[in-house]
Amino acid sequence: MSNLAVNSNLLETLSVLILLSSFVLMANKRINSYIKTFRIQSFLIALAAGIMGLRSLMSEGRWDFLVVCLLIMILKVLYIPNMLNKTYKNVSYKVEKDFILNIPILVLLCCGLVVFSYFTLSGVDGISQDVLNMQLVNSVSVIWIGLLFMISRKKAIGQIIGFLVIENGLYITAMYSTQGMPFIVDLGIFIDLLTFVLIMGVMTFRINEKFDSIDTDQLNNLKG
Amino acid sequence: MNSIVYLLIQLLVILLVAPFVNGLIKKVKALSQKRKGASVLQMYFDLYKLVKKKPVVSNISSWIFHVTPYIVFATALAAALLVPVSTKILPPQIPGDFIMVVSILALGRFFLMIAALDTASTFGGMGSSREAMISALIEPSILISMFTVALISRSTSLPQIMETVQKVGLPLAHPVYIMVGLALLIIILAETCRIPVDDPATHLELTMVHEAMILEYSGRHLALLEYGAAVKQLVFMTLFVNILIPQDQMIGFMGLGALILSLLIYLLKVILLALAMGIIEVNTVKLKLFSIPNLAALSFILAFLGVLQFLILGGKHV
Amino acid sequence: MGILLLIVPLIAVLLLLTVKQSQFRHAISVGASSLLLILALRLNREVLLHGSVQYASYGGFFYVDALSMIVLDIVLIIGFMAAIFTPGYLEAEIKHDKIRRERLGLYYSLMYTFIFTMVLALTVKNMGLMWIAIEATTLSSAFLVGFYNDKHALEAAWKYVILCSVGIAIALLGIILLHLSSAGVLNSSSFLDWTALYAKAASLKSSVLRLAFIFILIGFGTKAGLAPMHNWLPDAHSQAPSPISALLSGVLLNTALYGIIRAAVIVNHNQGSSTFTGRLLIGIGILSIATAAVFILTQKDYKRLLAYSSIEHMGIIVVAMGLYSPLSVFGGLMHMINHSLTKSMLFFSSGNILQKYDTKQISKLKGVLKIMPVTGTVFLLGLFAIAGTPPFSVFASEFSIVVAVFNGPYKWVGVIFVLLLAAVFAGIAVTLLKIFYGEPGDENLQAGEVNLPGTVCLVILLVGIAVSGLYLPGDLKELITKAQGIILGT
Repeated sequence: MSNLAVNSNLLETLSVLILLSSFVLMANKRINSYIKTFRIQSFLIALAAGIMGLRSLMSEGRWDFLVVCLLIMILKVLYIPNMLNKTYKNVSYKVEKDFILNIPILVLLCCGLVVFSYFTLSGVDGISQDVLNMQLVNSVSVIWIGLLFMISRKKAIGQIIGFLVIENGLYITAMYSTQGMPFIVDLGIFIDLLTFVLIMGVMTFRINEKFDSIDTDQLNNLKG
Repeated sequence: MNSIVYLLIQLLVILLVAPFVNGLIKKVKALSQKRKGASVLQMYFDLYKLVKKKPVVSNISSWIFHVTPYIVFATALAAALLVPVSTKILPPQIPGDFIMVVSILALGRFFLMIAALDTASTFGGMGSSREAMISALIEPSILISMFTVALISRSTSLPQIMETVQKVGLPLAHPVYIMVGLALLIIILAETCRIPVDDPATHLELTMVHEAMILEYSGRHLALLEYGAAVKQLVFMTLFVNILIPQDQMIGFMGLGALILSLLIYLLKVILLALAMGIIEVNTVKLKLFSIPNLAALSFILAFLGVLQFLILGGKHV
Repeated sequence: MGILLLIVPLIAVLLLLTVKQSQFRHAISVGASSLLLILALRLNREVLLHGSVQYASYGGFFYVDALSMIVLDIVLIIGFMAAIFTPGYLEAEIKHDKIRRERLGLYYSLMYTFIFTMVLALTVKNMGLMWIAIEATTLSSAFLVGFYNDKHALEAAWKYVILCSVGIAIALLGIILLHLSSAGVLNSSSFLDWTALYAKAASLKSSVLRLAFIFILIGFGTKAGLAPMHNWLPDAHSQAPSPISALLSGVLLNTALYGIIRAAVIVNHNQGSSTFTGRLLIGIGILSIATAAVFILTQKDYKRLLAYSSIEHMGIIVVAMGLYSPLSVFGGLMHMINHSLTKSMLFFSSGNILQKYDTKQISKLKGVLKIMPVTGTVFLLGLFAIAGTPPFSVFASEFSIVVAVFNGPYKWVGVIFVLLLAAVFAGIAVTLLKIFYGEPGDENLQAGEVNLPGTVCLVILLVGIAVSGLYLPGDLKELITKAQGIILGT
């Protein structure tokens, strides 16, 4: 088996593991385990970016993937989870049930989402070659699962994590399907993401201040 | 000729190794609790001691109570014959496939459950109902994960599957096999009454499942049941290690030497898995009964994702 | 030269953060926006002369053509008006203890960051960078929407950020697919480059491109407030400070629409016809108008009424773009300009009314014309204008779109379109009757205008929309014709 094949096999495996980590996220019950799972998922993504980075460095001498890998490590594996943990510590007074449906149903819905993205994507010609298709299906499923996670969680931090998972899904979609966006675009996305998390952290804090809870179900005064 | 050799080796290896694996897991747990623990060979002594003793049988029980230990042990042995420990000694044709393994084991389980009901003790009934629930939850994921592997090798026969797996290279780095492997790991823990599902070391009425069912047994009946459980555990472990960490391809040569080498590697893999299982058991807490569906759902989903990845890949030979 | 458009707001942000005195802050804000307006006028002339402006330096990312110039003009004109309106508005809010004086710096710096991100979105060639800038508009305006920091404002801001970010994330999926569709066609230096995509549109993978367009439409459509992704819009518009509402409604929505139009142009070019994008755009546009009509008919809050009217007008523009005939595109672009000017005027005047009456309830506004003669008149005429009454410019553009619908392939759409417009008109007319008839209910209200410079800017806008309804300046007409050419690919 050639070196390249092992590489791509590893990437496929990582893509499945990333998908699996979003299932695990969906099965999590507590906010600190959301954060932990998000950290693991980001780490897997960083790993995938690292492998791709080494490969592109070897074949084309491009550094940008490795820089991106480093950025993911710093931002998504270290900084953002730590920040969320800090926010959570500042606002959490009580442990409450945080999800609207029970977990096995949510997880089965996730399965449905994977099937859904398989059927939407496999019909599109141009991306229905097998390996690309599989990676794309997995990555796009991560996006939908992130969306479902956002819908199913009532707490502000759960929704932030959901968005971050959507973003992770987008990132691996880009990475697997197109070998990455132009470097400057990647960089911009990171800046946006960082700002998003900072803003949402502050806002969670303020919501907790005004509503005495970070349950977003209470945000229902504006209607019509 | 070849078939007889196969049967002999198969029986010998499984029967000899099974109690040892049990002892090993117990040793890991003991060491993690800073105890010295019993010797890894303890189970052999226990079995020897039990076999010598006459069983005490409740006088209100029926013939079911008497035959069950023999049926359980026989089904475990029959299942053991269908899961090859090494692909170096495959006879031309073994009847039966993994569906057979699952159903044979289910037969043993069925008898165990009704035997536990037979004595009309409350614990027995409780154990049976719990066992019925767990097995009903876990069986779909066994079948789906095995079907995934079967789809890849285009055969439900276990020797055939293990032959195909040899060509994959490192299955553990392959997405489909990873999913199947994780699902199988949960299945093993559930099927062998390990900690997240059941606690083999407890006799607390709230938590025991398997122990509750064999509570009324004693003497050589108990020996057979415990031996049967150990064999069943090793059968599942064999399935796991031989599908996910195949070794026979790497052994270039043929003949007796190759067979012995392959068996040694097999032993090593089983020991490693036993250690891993011990560590998992130490690091998890027992789930409450009503959380077991979540675990079963997780294992089902893993198996399902495995199948899906295979289908997404377009049924390509992997 | 054009790059100054990006530098000026950044310098303004830095200055606004360092300077502490309120007067200086106001002065810097007005100065910066006037400078931007002058720069925009210069750039306009260049675009008219050369067709497009781009520089080889800065990595070639700066690109302005007639289409982006139109939206850019809107941004900078409304930005200028907002800058003039803001000092009076904020000083009054500080006087009434609604906000603390220290937060002025935050307000201004966020406002200029907001303007910067919008200008950035309109001046980049790379679709990926455009996406980043549009996402950044959400982030920079989040605290502006929640600026009053009470329960309602926080709720609006939270919804705004969550919904828009998710929407925009879906647009990113679209952009990624767009990138995927160009795999093997473009080389790495021109990845996601709009001009390159446009030039090579015929060889992009159609099926992937179609999927990409759906995601981009949903994503940027969320940001543009198209139904059914519009939920954040009424909340954000009604809770934000009035100058910010004007910016959101008049400018931000257009910036998001601009993203959709850019993508639609590529897809149409690739498909060779507008059937695919047309059906989607017309469908989503009609749905938006219908949703808005329902809520306008039953609305009790005048700022929300204006917000829903924005949804309606976005729907109209999207329908016009979906029809893709020269008349409809011309009408759509004109409608973009007219709606922005009219709607920002209405939000400015609603800010004045809100400060006087201290309520957003329509039923509590009595005798506005007696208490605030100028603002009241502007608000009255503005509501007439936005409902589509001649001689105002909104009527002119709406009329040309209606004509285009009936000339187009979908005649029945025209029927629904006109019926919905009539329903909206009825809803707004009923509101008008409620507000402007009757005596002032509250005796404590003193007659008189608030915020003099702001009122002047209201009058200027009113004159502007009245005149442009009758006569279109030659330069503007040429600019719109050029943009029309870009969209239609002629």
